[in-house]
Amino acid sequence: MLSKFKSWEGFLFGVLVLILIANSSLSPEFLTLSNQINLFQLSVEKIIVSLIMTFIIINGEIDLSVGSMMGLAACAFGWMVDQGTPAALACIIVLLIGCAGGALNGYFIARVGLPSLVVTLATLIGFRGLARVLVEDRGITDFPDWFDALGQQGLIGPIPLALILFLLLFLFLYVVLQKTGFGRKTYVIGTNKAVADFAGIDTARHKQILFMASGLIAALAGLLYAARVGAVRGDVAFGFELDIITIVLLGGVSIFGGSGTLVGTFLAILIVLSLRNGMALLNITGHIQTGVIGILLVASVVAPRFNLKAILAHAGTPEKKETS
Amino acid sequence: MGSLKSLSLGAMLMLTCASFAQADAIKLEGGKETNLVLLPKFLGILVFDQANEGAQEAHKELANPGELLFVGPTPENSVAGQIEIMTTSATQGQGAVMLSNNAGDQIVPAAEAAKAAGTKIVTWDSPIPSGNGEDVFVAQVDFGSIGTVMADMAHSILGGKGEMAVLSATPDAANQNAWIASMQEALKGAKYADIKLVDVVYGDDQAEVSYNRALSLVDQHPNLGLIMSPTTVGIQASAKAMQDEGLCDKVKVSGLGLPSEMVSYTMNGCAPEFALWDFRDLGYLTYFTAYGMATGQLKGEIGESFHAGRMGDYTIEADPGREGAKRILMGPFTVYNKGNVEAAAK
Repeated sequence: MLSKFKSWEGFLFGVLVLILIANSSLSPEFLTLSNQINLFQLSVEKIIVSLIMTFIIINGEIDLSVGSMMGLAACAFGWMVDQGTPAALACIIVLLIGCAGGALNGYFIARVGLPSLVVTLATLIGFRGLARVLVEDRGITDFPDWFDALGQQGLIGPIPLALILFLLLFLFLYVVLQKTGFGRKTYVIGTNKAVADFAGIDTARHKQILFMASGLIAALAGLLYAARVGAVRGDVAFGFELDIITIVLLGGVSIFGGSGTLVGTFLAILIVLSLRNGMALLNITGHIQTGVIGILLVASVVAPRFNLKAILAHAGTPEKKETS
Repeated sequence: MGSLKSLSLGAMLMLTCASFAQADAIKLEGGKETNLVLLPKFLGILVFDQANEGAQEAHKELANPGELLFVGPTPENSVAGQIEIMTTSATQGQGAVMLSNNAGDQIVPAAEAAKAAGTKIVTWDSPIPSGNGEDVFVAQVDFGSIGTVMADMAHSILGGKGEMAVLSATPDAANQNAWIASMQEALKGAKYADIKLVDVVYGDDQAEVSYNRALSLVDQHPNLGLIMSPTTVGIQASAKAMQDEGLCDKVKVSGLGLPSEMVSYTMNGCAPEFALWDFRDLGYLTYFTAYGMATGQLKGEIGESFHAGRMGDYTIEADPGREGAKRILMGPFTVYNKGNVEAAAK
């Protein structure tokens, strides 16, 4: 199993190197520091949520409500500020809303035992509805300067807060997933929940914690989005959940649970973002950009599950000899 | 029509003042190199393609050795896509971005960053609501007069009495909201006392959504006599919905539409009257403005006049609808009916 992960991540790394070589040779601006920061900044909320989504999917579940939670968080923040609530207080309340929303998902999935696909599909609609009720059909802007500055300017040198949070969260979650009992339980439950139950793992509590973390991080991402664009409206982060889940699957996390790594997710993030940015710099936008990324995803998500697996097995035999 | 007269009088006064302040309109010198980006709300909409044709015409006429890029996002990714293209344009050091804004004020940080990097931001069709991050807005028509025109079309179609509803694009499209507000203002006049605006709904400028919203309007308001849609996507979808359901005798459609798309509905009576301006002209004038600013020949100050090729002279003025913002007013526009729509559709 381990060698399969390694070869998959190796494959992703190879794809990434190809994209980086192509981008830097075709566009002189690609490797500039400001472009590299923009590259992350333009999708930073999605990639933050993709980290916790990696846990959820390894655990054998799915959270479709993250995009709507991001929207609800941004709209709740905008609405409260608009009503005169101090922005700092509004941020804290929004994070609590995120926890509560996640706890609601977790309750129905872990305690009641409903499938996460159904529960989070319902909250996808519910959270978005709430967001639209709050701001109705308008845009809310004029947030405090410090709030906008956190989203739009560098915090340490040119590196903005959101990117720093992403890197810290990646390191933290990497340690949790690979080095702690919580991480091991995440894999075990995802591989076989019945076995985990018999082994005395409190699977319900585990899932409850994961979904609360997912809600919390999605709410944080919603706040970061509001700060980055300095305005909110009801359709904020609409459809983001699909991009987030796609990144995680591209990273080699099995949709059936039990396998995958954060390194894979990280490589997938770099691939998707670099590809998007490279095409934008070459003025390839719109449907062509969507199409190219779609083809890449189909190729890299479907192929290894069916054909590449066999190819890798053949090609992998001499490779193993070399490594051993 | 009184307000229209006073508006045009005001415009004439402004022009006169401007011509006193600046004896001659600036004649832009061609052949200077600058790369310009035309960024529509999203790709695949006829009017934006027409704006691109107009911009390409001006690009050739001014013999700009640089590039004119027509790039845009997909409809489902419009906001994020516009922000991305704006950011990328700053990275690429483009001379100017010509933006039909669909992102509301969410575009402001990206636009301000682009301005700081030396890229001029000229909006057209739909401006940045707050005016922040924008150099100047090329307005197709006066947002105040468009309300009067829509109210007059409603008056003529409904015969002075009845219920109407508005089917708009997205809730945060600044142009749509300004036009709807100005129509509501116009409807307060005594002439329109018996016309009732019962609902405003949004079809997101997508044909299928608009089609369904139009049908649900009819369900919700049994006495509805007119759907007013100030968007080319919405008006066509509404007219098709009424035609498909055989409702054209009861519910008429009007608003802003393209003659080529609306001709059959006007001839069969589903949409007896609608209005529009020429998007080719809008693209052409926007290009002249952006070229002038990117090459430093225009400073973008109020009172500055310039010569825009075949379209004549234009002046930068304060935008009456957005405090602190500047605009160039293209105007006027045409009302289409059975008498003139076929000729315009060709």
